[in-house]
Amino acid sequence: MFSNSQIDIETLPKVEALELKPIAKKYFTIIVINLVILYGIIIAVLSAVKYFTKKEGFHSIYWYLVAGVLIVFLAQFILYKLGFKKRKYALREKDITYSHGYLNNSSTTLPFNRIQHLEISRSFLARKFGLSTLKIFSAGESGGDLSISGLPKEVADSQYAFLTNILNERE
Amino acid sequence: MSENNFNIPSRQSAKGIIVFFGVSVYKVIKGLIIVIAAFFLKYFQSGEALDIYNYKVILSVAAFILYFIIFAILKYLNFKFYINKDYFILKQGIINKEETSISKSKIQNVYIKQNVIQQLINVVSLSIETAGDDKTEIEIKALSKPKAEALKKQLLSGAKVEDNLEKKENIKKSVETTNVYYKASFKKLLLEGISENHLKSLVFVLAFIFGLYNDFKEFIKQFKVTSRFNEYFELDEQALLGLIMFNVTLLILLLITSFLFSLIKTVVQNFNLTVYRKKDGLEISKGLFNKINLGLVSSRIQNTTISTNKFKKALGLYKLSFTQAMVNKKQQLKFNIIGLNKTQINELINEFYSGVYTSIQKYKPNRYFILKEIMVNIFLLLLINIPIIFAPPLVFLINIPLVILFAANTLYAYKKAYYSIDNKYIVVGTGKLIETHTSFLETHKVQAVKIKQTIFQKKRKLATVKVYSASKAITIPHIELNIARDIKNFLLYKVESEDRDWM
Repeated sequence: MFSNSQIDIETLPKVEALELKPIAKKYFTIIVINLVILYGIIIAVLSAVKYFTKKEGFHSIYWYLVAGVLIVFLAQFILYKLGFKKRKYALREKDITYSHGYLNNSSTTLPFNRIQHLEISRSFLARKFGLSTLKIFSAGESGGDLSISGLPKEVADSQYAFLTNILNERE
Repeated sequence: MSENNFNIPSRQSAKGIIVFFGVSVYKVIKGLIIVIAAFFLKYFQSGEALDIYNYKVILSVAAFILYFIIFAILKYLNFKFYINKDYFILKQGIINKEETSISKSKIQNVYIKQNVIQQLINVVSLSIETAGDDKTEIEIKALSKPKAEALKKQLLSGAKVEDNLEKKENIKKSVETTNVYYKASFKKLLLEGISENHLKSLVFVLAFIFGLYNDFKEFIKQFKVTSRFNEYFELDEQALLGLIMFNVTLLILLLITSFLFSLIKTVVQNFNLTVYRKKDGLEISKGLFNKINLGLVSSRIQNTTISTNKFKKALGLYKLSFTQAMVNKKQQLKFNIIGLNKTQINELINEFYSGVYTSIQKYKPNRYFILKEIMVNIFLLLLINIPIIFAPPLVFLINIPLVILFAANTLYAYKKAYYSIDNKYIVVGTGKLIETHTSFLETHKVQAVKIKQTIFQKKRKLATVKVYSASKAITIPHIELNIARDIKNFLLYKVESEDRDWM
């Protein structure tokens, strides 16, 4: 059966009219902890070098280095803070949308009939906070895959079950 | 048929032992080339004649060869494959036994290839690529050509279209009605090689030389190359002239090398390039040292790109590259046909994307495209100029050709950029000063759609759309946000409402 009727773009379902849901607020704490650990390690290494080295040059620039690292930390913190509000997702009848990014905002929509497989991953911290990351893969390596971090475990699990159900029905 | 019965476990051709042996010797030599070179160098330096007839040398070489022969025989004996109903099963491994089974419906592509050893002993290798994870790529290294063809046919017969009688018949017919569509003459290959992007080869040659230099740094030091050069140029009044001459010669040598490199590469890779037309697609065969046979099923093609550059266009040379789902990156690069003329290009494009040329309606990206390119180029110029600060003032003149080049590139990039979307096809044109590309994608092969917006675009209500397929993404840069949304809605509607087979 072939149909090729004209499509009126105005009447198509609009992805911009979607009401996007934010991810769990707790996830920001995880981001901050990860940031602190990362920059903490960098500063610790710098301090260790300062402690063991006898080179005058390094001692004189040590505080500049630490200040530089702290500025980068602060900048990244602010970007994450601003960007956190942009991390949103939504499901429609036939596709899933994930949007994120402050400086470079992107919103990806993946139709259900293109999903290849699903994955739920939980890092150590995420387990402590009861959060999960839902990964949705499409075919190929072209990068149209979605990875939604910071979903409450129950939400991730129910989405996972819902999508698996759709995948199974398709077969 | 008894010979080609794949239902019982069978080994590959006994010549496979030679292939296994050759491959492992090649790997060892490749890995140890520096050690071997160092070994010989030490001998030469010590001034002693190399005593090849020393029993120790003979014994150790013989032991090595024996080890590899036994290894190859064991590997051959333990390598069995067969087809069981809808599954292809492969057993291998000498100590660690490994069994792989692949559902025929998961098989995406089957290639037949021939490297130098395989050409010499007249066998082919057959590799199978599957959907899903890319780790399960399988290669059978030595089969007689008819056996490989028969296996390929059996493997593909069950693939995906089994329930579709019509298609099955197509496949049968296609085997019978194979005819040569296009054969690239040697002259065409030469012209293609000459009009290649030699700057790309230059980068490659430079990287190769630096890599080599790093490996052989110690030896070069021992040969005292630098001090010899220093002596050579120590004549004071002529020092500067000598240095300039030296640099100019070096540059010319590099340019000639990279020119030859791209020429030889093009000819070797595409030697005897022949395209066969089949009912369900094309078959490409090419290569001098590594012969390769690629089947291209039209329903599995994801993106198609036409590429040319100023020189090639003048010579009437166009390249057509295809991408298929699930093909690994290295293989992907080989899915192309070079040296086609305009008529052939149009014919092929019309075959895979029927009626696309009549429906193209070109839309331009926003002029912000130019602004962004200028910003990126200014940033690049600044980066280039940082090290120049410490150089003599004359070096700053390098900025003049650079600015001209960047400006021309920006202008032509905008001039050549367009997009066209209709019910069936997405067509996107891109290019720079020299090169031009046109990409085609069928709307029902879209996998996901992304709208990207930087904060600079946001102020201007612009966005960039990225359309993902199972192999490569197509980018429509800097268009109005509402148009971007319309495109996204439209493509999603197409994909979600039709539910057509897309791989």
